[in-house]
Amino acid sequence: MSILIEISENLQKGKAKIVKELVQKAVDDGIPAETILNEGLLAGMNVIGEKFKNNEVYVPEVLVAARAMNMGAQILKPLLAAEGVQSTGKVCIGTVQGDLHDIGKNLVKMMMEGKGLEVIDLGTDVSPETYVQTAIEQNCQVICCSALLTTTMGVMADVVKAAEAAGIRDRVKIMIGGAPVTQDYCDKIGADVYTSDAASAADAAVRLCSN
Amino acid sequence: MTNRERAMNILHYKEADRMPAVHFGYWNELLWEWVEQGKIPREIAEGWYDGSEAERELDKLIGWDFNWYRTVGSDNGLRPGFEYKVLEVLSDGTRRVQNGDGLIERIKPGATSIPSEDDYLLKDREAFETLYKPRMQFVPERVNPEYYRYFNETRPTDIPVGLHLGSVLGNIRNMTSVVGMSYLLYDEDEELFADIVDTYAEMQYKCAEAILETGAKFDFAHYWEDICFKNGPLIAPDIFEELCAKHYKKRNDLCRRYGIDVISLDCDGVTDKLLPIWFENGVNTMFPIEVGVWGDQFEPARNRYGKGMLGVGGMDKTALREDKAAVDREIERMRRLSALGGFIPCPDHRLMPGTKFELVQYYAESIKKIKY
Repeated sequence: MSILIEISENLQKGKAKIVKELVQKAVDDGIPAETILNEGLLAGMNVIGEKFKNNEVYVPEVLVAARAMNMGAQILKPLLAAEGVQSTGKVCIGTVQGDLHDIGKNLVKMMMEGKGLEVIDLGTDVSPETYVQTAIEQNCQVICCSALLTTTMGVMADVVKAAEAAGIRDRVKIMIGGAPVTQDYCDKIGADVYTSDAASAADAAVRLCSN
Repeated sequence: MTNRERAMNILHYKEADRMPAVHFGYWNELLWEWVEQGKIPREIAEGWYDGSEAERELDKLIGWDFNWYRTVGSDNGLRPGFEYKVLEVLSDGTRRVQNGDGLIERIKPGATSIPSEDDYLLKDREAFETLYKPRMQFVPERVNPEYYRYFNETRPTDIPVGLHLGSVLGNIRNMTSVVGMSYLLYDEDEELFADIVDTYAEMQYKCAEAILETGAKFDFAHYWEDICFKNGPLIAPDIFEELCAKHYKKRNDLCRRYGIDVISLDCDGVTDKLLPIWFENGVNTMFPIEVGVWGDQFEPARNRYGKGMLGVGGMDKTALREDKAAVDREIERMRRLSALGGFIPCPDHRLMPGTKFELVQYYAESIKKIKY
């Protein structure tokens, strides 16, 4: 079995230590970092993402797979920079002001990283101004907002307004998601994309970044 | 007919003169909104909790019959709990604290939601054996027989009161966080996780048994889990079944031996994948059936399991933030569900900020007009 397939399969099983060892071995064998990333780590995360979307795996499988991916990616990071490999896009993500729930936000972040996107994690309780300022300063193509509570989802509308006020709506797309959020709400506040699960959010972000 | 008779008759498909107007409490922020609007006295907002005197006063102001969530439990958590410690105060005022479950949380000033999980102590076998297992043992001090004898003499007789059975997995998830649970279960030490579940469950079983042996009488029994989210369970159903099913069965069989045949379980999120496991192991009542936020529904469960599946909840509470027409639509839906039998309408979770006081009064008054 190719070592890249082994990396992918162990990542899908969430075997972080094994993935780390295999990535190091692949590097030592002279396989380019970009190949290890795309055909090993990201290939494995793509499988997990699709299975998650189809309810074939659950949150724990995603969390352990993402941990395995991160452990492998840590080895590759300096090598990718040296090879001049660019990410497929840049997103800033956070849970909106007043809301400290971050499991959903973290799942989306993991899935996006699994698609090769660079994700700036703003954490929880993020103000509209912080999203917009980060998008400007870091040149992000997408702002991604998460909320778990009906009482905090209203902040998403403020993010849209802040982005409009800053004059960045023509170049920065706004994605929203979370338990109480719906497509109707997305349309109502003028955000660009709503997705109902983390894997679909990652797919949508890739599409937005490639436009 | 008392509200207790009404409720228990409906859940046993017997006759009742009308539907009781049942609720499941409030977000504190809502009570303070109502104080500011001059709808309720400040003392009610200050004194409210499930089953409190303040709640009885508020029930009268609104027209509710009772709060369904009236349960009595025992000291069936970690004993003693971990010391609550502030570990660090960050520059923005956020406090990193260790809570009673040994979970490290970040609490931000001004944020109204639950704290976010940062780290946890229950990471390996050594932590379990030295820090947790001794705190998960049954000791007689967990159940004071005098308290339950006093409870039997003084409990309200006009409303149903439940025995709180604790939780099989939700409490452990609170100790490890979702992330920690996932790491232990899927990558690090599956056998250890099963030991944790078994140890904790055995203690909770013994607590329930000790309470029932005192002669305390209950109308129903109840679990809390919160182990699902928007798109389904936070754990694979087959693993959940392997770890937890036997513990539900054992506790539920115990309840039935003591004549308790209404056993409910509160789980946020979309529960349909775990519902068969609960039902097949003796949990027969969905409560609170969150329609508004999670899209959960009672009817599919009834269609699937028949009359053995009971329900308390299912009313989309978000209608109470809108207008009379929205409330009327929900009342009509509740009328239809009530006709199935074995179902009591109740707002599908705590009433939230923005809920209109007059609409709640209107809903409570209208629901009582449903004939059963």
